[in-house]
Amino acid sequence: MDRRTFLRAGTLGLAAPALIAERSQAQTRSITVADPGGPFGEAFGKAFYRPFEQATGIRVVNVARPAEPTAQFRAMVETKSYTWDCCILTLSARDIMVKQNLLEPIGLKPEDAPGMMPEALTPFWMGTDVYATILAVRTDKLGGPAPESWADLWNVAKFPGRRSLRKDPIDTLEEALLADGVPLADLYPLDLDRAFRSLDKIKPHVAAWWTGGAQATQMLQSGEVAMIPTWNGRVQPVIDAGGPVKIVWNQGLYSIEGWSIPRGSPRADAARQFIRFCSEPARQAVYTEGLSYGPTNLKAYDTIPEARAKLLPTHPENLKLMRLANEEWWSANRAAAAERFNAWVLR
Amino acid sequence: MTRRLGPALYAVPGIAFLAVFFLYPVLRLLALSLQAEGTGEFTLGHYQHALGTEVYLRVLGITFTIAAETTLGALLLGYPLAHWLARLPEARRGWLVMLVMIPFWTSYLVKTFAWMITLDQNGVMNRMLLATGAVDTPLEVLHGRIGVMIGMVHAMLPLAVLTMLPVMVAVDRQLPRAAGTLGAPPGQVFWRVQFHLSLPGLAAAGLLVFITSLGFFITPALLGGPRDTMLAQLVISQVQEMMNWGLAGALAVMMLAAALVTCWVYDRLFGLSTVSGQASAKPRRGQAALRTAGLSILSAVAAAHVALGSAMARLVGRRVLGWLLPAYAALVLLFLGAPTLVVVPMGFTDSSFLGFPPPGYSLRWFEVYFGSPLWLGATLRSFIVAFGTACLATLLGGLAALALARSQSRWQGAIFALFLAPMIVPRIVVALALFYLFAQLGLVATEAGLVLGHAVLALPFTFVTMAAVLKGYDWRLDQAAATLGATRFRILTQVTVPLLKGGLVAAFLFAFITSFDDLTVALFVSGGVTTTLPKQMWDDMILQLNPTLAAVSVVVFVLVTALLVTAERLRKPKG
Repeated sequence: MDRRTFLRAGTLGLAAPALIAERSQAQTRSITVADPGGPFGEAFGKAFYRPFEQATGIRVVNVARPAEPTAQFRAMVETKSYTWDCCILTLSARDIMVKQNLLEPIGLKPEDAPGMMPEALTPFWMGTDVYATILAVRTDKLGGPAPESWADLWNVAKFPGRRSLRKDPIDTLEEALLADGVPLADLYPLDLDRAFRSLDKIKPHVAAWWTGGAQATQMLQSGEVAMIPTWNGRVQPVIDAGGPVKIVWNQGLYSIEGWSIPRGSPRADAARQFIRFCSEPARQAVYTEGLSYGPTNLKAYDTIPEARAKLLPTHPENLKLMRLANEEWWSANRAAAAERFNAWVLR
Repeated sequence: MTRRLGPALYAVPGIAFLAVFFLYPVLRLLALSLQAEGTGEFTLGHYQHALGTEVYLRVLGITFTIAAETTLGALLLGYPLAHWLARLPEARRGWLVMLVMIPFWTSYLVKTFAWMITLDQNGVMNRMLLATGAVDTPLEVLHGRIGVMIGMVHAMLPLAVLTMLPVMVAVDRQLPRAAGTLGAPPGQVFWRVQFHLSLPGLAAAGLLVFITSLGFFITPALLGGPRDTMLAQLVISQVQEMMNWGLAGALAVMMLAAALVTCWVYDRLFGLSTVSGQASAKPRRGQAALRTAGLSILSAVAAAHVALGSAMARLVGRRVLGWLLPAYAALVLLFLGAPTLVVVPMGFTDSSFLGFPPPGYSLRWFEVYFGSPLWLGATLRSFIVAFGTACLATLLGGLAALALARSQSRWQGAIFALFLAPMIVPRIVVALALFYLFAQLGLVATEAGLVLGHAVLALPFTFVTMAAVLKGYDWRLDQAAATLGATRFRILTQVTVPLLKGGLVAAFLFAFITSFDDLTVALFVSGGVTTTLPKQMWDDMILQLNPTLAAVSVVVFVLVTALLVTAERLRKPKG
């Protein structure tokens, strides 16, 4: 019994209760996985894809998925044309798809992945990386002291400088409530009336509303704005290139992306094997060399150099300042909140 | 019987194509707007919600306003340029038209970012204005309607100019001369002969620009302010983020209905027939009156022009006046080329960010590009798919336009609407609908699927462009050939097609560029497996604006220029 057969037998044992596609599993020679593309493809390739190929002999073809691949996923499952066997989903996409019964169980239990953050493992999804919405500050463009909280971002008198907010209710409503004095722990359920009253105060002082991450990075990098809430992964490249930019982790909101399998995929067993592989702390530590996202398996920090570790959202020092954005609340209220926000921003 | 039906048969391939690859899949998807989520029961709930929520109607209003403003801007800038180009000798015109097309060869993503970089607070424009002391504080051009207009008018100008140009060129050059000989001053000649005869081109350009603009969303999102939200953006968010396809379908139908009403109003005012080529077929009641009114407006404008012209001539001299048009045209050409002038140096930057001017120069981003099989593969695939799309769409659209120009069917309005429809239905709806169809046909992640999908998007452009050119076509030439014993095929290949060359080239280019610049259909149909250039650029922008985008733009620009220059050289007999 060589190593490859052994590993395969192991996977089959793991999926034994399901035992869906034993025969196709035996023939699976390659799987197609959809990641966010760009630097992700490179970093995940080094951390997950190439080592998985070496360990199992199953080739991993990676393609770039769009930001919210929900429509593609549904179409794939409904037409049984599985272009992807495995795909990185955000929490919101995951919850929509669980509700519509479009996902395959990943068959990974907490005891199979020691060190994993509890919120990063569910029956249909395993988180691979944590990203955070934080306040990014361009220190050379400030007209006064550097802001340290959302309340400071709202305080235009004490903290002069051009500001940008995201033209989306997600994160922006939370920021408005935190700025208005709601404690981080008591954020949800969001008090919409209070949030919009708070937004009314900042609206005249918003120089630009951003819609896409690349746009936010560009505005920060060129100095178009001095303060902007955005994702930490978008800010890090500017800092790495020597830009005078600071991240305020205080009152940040983090979220998780991770792998799911489209329901009915003929290569689901190989995909499950792959996902389990991605839970290993040593593998997760590797991608942090190229991406400033936080590993979901906190044991990964055992091998990440401290200089890099403190730039990542799940570093204990950063994590304790933030909280997980409540996806349950958003799943239930997103449509209504978005309509109200869109109407508000047009006024 | 077949003789009578003869020309109408030309429309059959296009209609069949649209029925299979557009009508059937899209209607199937839009039917979801009449079904309750989950149960599938019939409901009008999505429509009640869309119409009963103020924000959707407001955004629809904003969408139409932005499209109308863009159309006005593109025609005001484009018409004089096209008019000037049309009167140049053919050889020089060929080269200058290439300048008009320059914006085509830079992806709209890159162009939009180039505008952001040029116009922001620390951009070149503001730095120059501050340095010269023209302003004290940087101008706020971005994050508002002005920014949207700059980006959108720039994107639509080539389409406007290239649609008008073939019509203007086809105007018999002897007519203005004859008018002159009969004593008409230049102002009269322009308004009552040249402008009047160029109206089909103007109408076609206006319609194409307006309807294309309705579907924009990335440019307004990046260059506009909080109030510049387009409906396409809300449809996409309903499809992808909320997974509420019923409401997305209802919004798409709302937009379709509003666009069709616009087309109907336009038809009443100007006659769609000005575009499709049947102006004089059956004047409706009231149309004669309208036409008379139009003509008297034209003569009033002409008289005013003559009066103003002679006053101006006395004031500044005829020589200066003669330079007015070329100077205007040159400025418009400069505007067209501006983003490219910014993008090219950025491709050679040594920084890891896009910025202008670059802090230093290097070839590192070209090394990244040429060292990446992903980028090279995407480039090659984009060219192949765009070429296939252009061939297919020009053939189908050209034949359909021919059918419409040569037959007098009562179905003309319906056929016209059908061929325009792919432009009005939001692209994400077309893309999603095609995914379902292609999954059944096994065409997902194939080049053939991309060609078919892009041909659906490109058909309206080839159809309208060809229809506008055919409007001015002298059918007596075909009759003459037939009298001399030529077969129908021979007439088509040896008389009609050579005479319509200008329109065919424009149609081909529009189809090519529609495919070359498409992101939405590629996102669905390619499944990420068969990557095209815009898809690859989109993926590359995940974390930051990588200068590879600019390097790729330079490569594409050089490639296309080389191809066009070669084509231009080959086109002319060596002398």
